Amino acid sequence: MIEIKKNRIENNYSNWQIFGLTFLRVLIGWHFLYEGLIKVFTPNWTAEFYLAGAIGPLAPLFRSLSRSESLLAFVDTLNMWGLVVIGLGLFIGLFSKPLKIAGIILLLLYYFAYPPLVGAGINTHAEGSYWIVNKNLIEIASLCVLFLFPSSHISGIDRFLSYKKSVLSSSR
Amino acid sequence: MKKHGASIFRRDFIKGLAAVPLLGYFAFEFKNNIPKGIEEKSKDYKQILKIRQLEAPGAKLQRPTGNSGNRLRFGLVGHGWRGEQLLHSLGYTHPEEVEKQTVNGKYTKRFQEFLEQEDLNVEFAGVCDTFDLHAKRGVEISLNDIRPGGGKGKPKPAKIYTTYREMIESNEIDAIVISTPDHTHAQIAIDAAKAGKHVYLEKPMTHTIEEAVELRNTIKSTGVIFQLGHENRQQMSFKIARELYQKGVLGDVSMVQTYTNRNSLNGAWIRQRRFDALGNESNINWKEFLGNAPWCEFDPKRYFNWQRYSDYGTSVTGNDFSHKYDGVNQVLDLGIPEMVVAMGGQYYYKNHGDMPDVINAIFSYPQRGLTMTYDGTLKSGIYRQSHILGSEASMDVDRAIMLYKDGYSERYKDIESDSADPMYYYEPNADVDAVSTATSKAYIKGGYGPTFIDGKVIDATFLHLKEWIDAIRGQGETSCNIDVGFEEAVTFNLANLAIKHNKVVRWDAEREKVIIG
Repeated sequence: MIEIKKNRIENNYSNWQIFGLTFLRVLIGWHFLYEGLIKVFTPNWTAEFYLAGAIGPLAPLFRSLSRSESLLAFVDTLNMWGLVVIGLGLFIGLFSKPLKIAGIILLLLYYFAYPPLVGAGINTHAEGSYWIVNKNLIEIASLCVLFLFPSSHISGIDRFLSYKKSVLSSSR
Repeated sequence: MKKHGASIFRRDFIKGLAAVPLLGYFAFEFKNNIPKGIEEKSKDYKQILKIRQLEAPGAKLQRPTGNSGNRLRFGLVGHGWRGEQLLHSLGYTHPEEVEKQTVNGKYTKRFQEFLEQEDLNVEFAGVCDTFDLHAKRGVEISLNDIRPGGGKGKPKPAKIYTTYREMIESNEIDAIVISTPDHTHAQIAIDAAKAGKHVYLEKPMTHTIEEAVELRNTIKSTGVIFQLGHENRQQMSFKIARELYQKGVLGDVSMVQTYTNRNSLNGAWIRQRRFDALGNESNINWKEFLGNAPWCEFDPKRYFNWQRYSDYGTSVTGNDFSHKYDGVNQVLDLGIPEMVVAMGGQYYYKNHGDMPDVINAIFSYPQRGLTMTYDGTLKSGIYRQSHILGSEASMDVDRAIMLYKDGYSERYKDIESDSADPMYYYEPNADVDAVSTATSKAYIKGGYGPTFIDGKVIDATFLHLKEWIDAIRGQGETSCNIDVGFEEAVTFNLANLAIKHNKVVRWDAEREKVIIG
């Protein structure tokens, strides 16, 4: 997809397509970044009760995480800083390929901690109604789309990295 | 290379940094928004409720009190469905249950938890039931060594006693657990206490007020350790609710509303259990079952559905309301009402005894400035928690708590909370700090199940029995003691009398007498 022609990075996207993909990437980045920072800035923030209240087939796994102090400390740190790094990366389009994968993994964990299965009680107090598909799953799908149709090499810091890489290999 | 780099910077610099201005906006606004966002997300419930501390959730479990020198030998009087549940909580279960809880050669998680339950260091030494099959099943249970603390030698079979009198006279029994029909509770407990046996008595405490007076006096004079089987005394939700009330969170409480609803034959105590069809005059000790009740000929319907007959049972009030009453009594120390009006009707299950299907009762506490109501039906299964209505906030309480700010509250006038959304929420499967708005949690409805204490989710009935056994060993006291049991028995019996006589019923607290009309 990336071609260097006359010292310019060429691509097959129309300008509107680039705008659309960039817009989606920035929104998801914004969401991750804010979720991460609010946890970082909340004194003694912990996922303990979120994990302890997990439902569905993987609930025992999540609950066991909440019971181990050392594991929980690790999970908390990984979660909040993971969100910040992924959010920032998506926002400005830096290292966005690996960070999208990381984002998908993190969202999958949230999804399976509270899978929207009818009868599991999850809808009792949710602001909407969900069955199998919820907003986490849609965000996962959006990241998959962004992974397959990247934009950061055009409208992100990755542009400079990919240009540098391409130029380096072409100059050899 | 430098040249290429320079040209790309010139031509596409802006495109590559397209999102950076947005990040700038984010960063600039973030610092203003973050404190608000955090405040919304992590409300400190103590600040909201204007209390300094909540101590109840910090309660610790009593350490095991059993040792090689204090094995407690207990006898079970009445091994029906509840008796078997009590045995399970005491660490004894039937081999059939082990089989049922074994899937693909492995124990289920539930059974594994049962095996890991604290070994109370008790011995199921005797069983007594007016139905032979129930007594024999008890022996089968006593011989099952797959239990907490099991596998330490050949288990001794529980001895079958023909009557409870033989059991309490035995020097092989230290304490008795009573789960018989309501009309026999008082006599068995009184005789046991007089024989020096400690008593765990299933609720409701007694069939009449006179029996409650006599039982209380006997327990007090003999000094045996008594526990009434309201296992919800162990529920953390009621302990928290009590502390919240005492710290003024609710303000003035003027009304308490309690409810129970059921909508099935089983729920209406019209039951056909597994062994019932095998019961007949040759294997049921009918005379012993009747006890002090009026004589009538053998009737299996009366025997197996005794709850439906006022000769033996205590109606919906004794069976269901007594739980709800004990719950709110824990929170508010209500005690016995001064006046009760009640009515009820048997409209649906007319061919089964004389139990009303629909009951409404009002209990008046003028000195407390409050009224308690009870509505119960056997023709609707709708779930309703007990509501405690206060001038500052109202509380829905069962195994969970939901606290709602009053629209005209002075105490919480600065709290931005919709009266429809709970400002405090407690659910029993997580720690108290998990309190937040209910939107983030699946609400655990009420009922009688495990509670949360000391970081663990534990069966409340186990804790209730443990509390009794620990108290027998001199560690702590029973929470559902004879005094609160007395309040329970008098209160629900007053409602039954009001229905029976269709009149206002008053309680003369000084003389401990009922005034009808």
